[in-house]
Parts: sequence; C-alpha cells; structure tokens
Amino acid sequence: MITVTGLTKRYADRTVVDDVSFTLEPGTVTGFLGPNGAGKTTTLRMITGLVPPSSGQALVDGRRWVDLPNPSALAGVLLDAGAVHPGRTGRTHLAILAATLGVPVRRVDELLDQVGLGPAGRRRIRGYSLGMRQRLGIAAALLADPALLILDEPANGLDPEGIRWMRDLLRGHAGRGGTVLLSSHLLGEVEHTVDRLVVIGAGRIVADGPIGSLLAGDGVRVRTLDPAGLSASLQAAGLTVTDADGVLAVPGATAEQVGRIAAAGGHVLTDLRRADRGLEDLFFQLTA
Amino acid sequence: MTAAVLDHPVTATTLVDRRPPLTRLVGLEIRKILSTRSGLALAGTAAVAPAAVTALMLALADPPPGSATLLALLGALVALLMVAIGVLSTAGEWTHGTVQTTFLAVPRRSRVLAAKYAGTALLGAVVATVVVASTLAVAALGTGPGFSWAGTGVAIAATIGAGAALTVVGAGIGAAVGNAPAALTGTYLVLLVAINILNGAKPVWGKHVDPLSAVFDLVEGDAAVRPIAVLTGWVLATAVAGVLVTRRRAVS
Repeated sequence: MITVTGLTKRYADRTVVDDVSFTLEPGTVTGFLGPNGAGKTTTLRMITGLVPPSSGQALVDGRRWVDLPNPSALAGVLLDAGAVHPGRTGRTHLAILAATLGVPVRRVDELLDQVGLGPAGRRRIRGYSLGMRQRLGIAAALLADPALLILDEPANGLDPEGIRWMRDLLRGHAGRGGTVLLSSHLLGEVEHTVDRLVVIGAGRIVADGPIGSLLAGDGVRVRTLDPAGLSASLQAAGLTVTDADGVLAVPGATAEQVGRIAAAGGHVLTDLRRADRGLEDLFFQLTA
Repeated sequence: MTAAVLDHPVTATTLVDRRPPLTRLVGLEIRKILSTRSGLALAGTAAVAPAAVTALMLALADPPPGSATLLALLGALVALLMVAIGVLSTAGEWTHGTVQTTFLAVPRRSRVLAAKYAGTALLGAVVATVVVASTLAVAALGTGPGFSWAGTGVAIAATIGAGAALTVVGAGIGAAVGNAPAALTGTYLVLLVAINILNGAKPVWGKHVDPLSAVFDLVEGDAAVRPIAVLTGWVLATAVAGVLVTRRRAVS
C-alpha cells in the first residue's frame, strides 16, 4: 500500500531524513516511532507530497501522492489537528473537504456523531479543546472511508475513552483489510495497537519488523517460593542467573529448560515467562 | 464517541480515481472565503459601503460628480478591499495551516491556484457588480435631471473588470508571500506609500505602475490602453509569482 524507497531530506548541510525505506502491507497497523526531531513528521509529509524529498520516493498504491487523482479518498491523513480555520464551524470544515472529495454531505453528520462532536459541529472551531480538534481531524481523515490511514499523534488530547475508541477504530480498520501508519509518542498506546514497528532515530531507520519479534528478549524470567534454592539449581545446570527482588532472570534459557530444572529440584514456580522487553526499553535502546 | 460498527472490507472507493473538476474547486474557493467572518465582512463592506459613500458625496459635493466619476472614486476605494479579499483567500490558508488540508486533497498546487484565481475573480466581479448597482441606484434616487450619466456604460464594465483584476492581484500576492499579515501590510505599503512616493518623484513612471490610478482612469474613461496594460501586468506578475513560489514551498 505504501512503499518508501531511499527517502532523504536535506536542508542545506543538515540531513533530517536519511535514506528511509519501508513497506506497509494491507491489513496491518504499523507504529512509526522516534524521538522529537528524528524525522517522523518530515517523512510523513514527504509521503503525502507536502514536502518535496531531496532524493528517493514514496509510492501510495503504486503512485506518487501528487499523481493520485483524488488522494484523500484513498488515504485519510491527520498530521496537525491545529491546521483548521478557527472561524469556521467544525461542520463547515468537514463539508468543504467532503465536497472536494465528492463525498455526500450526509457523511459529515454521520462522522460528527461518530467522533462525539455532533452538537459541537455547529460551533466555531476556535472554541474547541485540543481533544475536540483532534476528533475533528480524525473525522476528516475518515470522510471517504479510505483504505489507508496516516495519523500523526492522533491520541493527543484524547481522554481514555477516546483513546480506547481510536484503538478499536484502528484495529478494526486493519481487520477489514485496511492499512494504518500510526506515529505516536505514547509508547503504551502503540504497544497495544500495532502489529509492526518502524523506528526512526536521527533520520535513519533503526528497527523495522513485527512488534513481537522486536520486543522478544533473551531468556526467561521466573518467580519461585525459594529463589535462592532455584538459583542454585539453575547455576548447577550451567545457566547464568541474576536475582532482582526475587525475580530470577535466566538469559539464554528456554522456559522448558527452567521448568524441567525446577521440577527436578521440587521448586514451586509462581511465574515463568519469556523475558520480553517493554517497548519503552526498546525505544530508548534504539534511539539513544 | 460511538463504536465503529463498520464490518465491510476496506476497498478503494470509486472516488479514488475521480479528480475533482476545476469548476467544483472554483465554487469551493468562493465558499471558503465566505465561510469565515473576515471574508464575509470584507465582501459585505465592499458591496454595501459604497452606497453610503455615494449618498454622502452627492449630499456634500456641489456640483455633484457624474456617474463615471462616482464609480471611478468608489472603484479605486473598493479595489483596496478586493485586494484584501484576494490576499486572505491564499495567504490566509498558509497562516491558519488549512493549506495542508487543501494540498492533501488536491496535490497539484497550480490547479488549486487556478481555482483560487478564478474564484476570487468571480467574487470580485460579483462584489463590483453590487457596488455598481448600489452606487447607480443611489445616484438615480438622489439626483435630479442635471446629473451627468455620460460614460456610464464604460464605467460599469471597467469597475467590474477592475474588481475582478484586483482580487486576483491580491490572491497572487498572498500566494507568493504565504503570510496574511505580512502580505496585507506589504501590499498596502506598496499601493499607498511607495507608489505615491513614486508618483510624486516621477509621475510618468508612476502612471505606468500605479494600479489604483489605472482603475480610476479606466472607469472614468480617460484612457483605456495604458490602464488595461497596467492592470494586466499586475495580474500576470502576481499570479505567476504566486504559482512559482507556491509550487516550491514546503508545507510544514
């Protein structure tokens, strides 16, 4: 659905996006992560034709954004919820966009209700909170029920109910065969929503793959009623063990290995799991 | 927020390959201008104020000016407001960031600007038509048989044409500058200060660059070729500058 190849952006002698390549397939939610200034927003703007790349290209459904006849009907985009005229009503903002795309105006009212802005839709946007502007931006992205969603920090300003709604929306979109590219700094939210991660640091892609394999750690973590005893059994079996407040970390071991050693020694286990890293750990490790 | 109950597979809609026609974009550009208080206020003021000014001029001037002179004075005045409408239609989008939505939906920027120029020209012509109608109506009601209607036909056509031209000039300047306060300030400094200084220092040069004098001369029927050439030059120069700069400017 999106193919980014060697995308690069230079401003004078500063390279803000450096040879970025990735591909997004239908039916997936891909998290696009990176610290402030890493090049996320510039990459999204190059994909959507708002910023010309210095080199490389981004294709959406096989074409450059500028070559798509009606791009917002193919891809709903939310890059900046503040990019609205404060003097217009929310409904007028959506109605103008709907008319541009050729979407019937009744869809505007449907979406205003869907994002919880029904009555507020007739008020001027200058009176909207950040969360309301965000919901208006999400409604604009959904106007044509596009196959692709590109969302930059869509959860900004949303309350917990709104965040859960958005997560369900994005998972549902991918479940229907749609494609989602989600840029966010809310790592917990990303971890629960995406199938895949593309991590950018200092303008370069530093990780790209399924979230499960990126977060998979080395070894297992085990809890037992007798940490000292189990630790001794594991070390006797040639494994390395570190004890952190009663949780034994056993790098290089499998859950089966540890379970067998515990059973042989008669140790009662209360927890045994793969030593996955949290997304936060991964993020800081990759982007430090 | 209500739960998304969509369960149909996501497929590219038939809209994806339907490029929005230019006529639709032109209509939407006019709608954008009139959907904000500033645009509506400017268009309303430009359309309504001349009737009041006409009544005042007819009451105070002795003898009263003829219809062509009235339209020339008001046409130059309204031209200043039309420039502002044009500036807001383009630079206003950059100032508020709505240009992002506009270019995401219609990424061919020269197409967007063509629609803006056509839309502002149409709006400028309509507002100028209202100005002409209200001015002449007030003149007809407020004057006697001695009132001069000489040159009214030419004045009407020239006022409407100049209204359209000056709105496009504003749109071109706004597109080139990309910032509404800077574009408005710069435009009025050039039109009201720099060109007046030039008119004082080198009147012959001033005559060939001053768009407001061109509007006055054209509407009053004093000349045709030079004023039309001056206005055409302003339209072409600003419209082309707007397209060239806009096509290269990043939306950040």
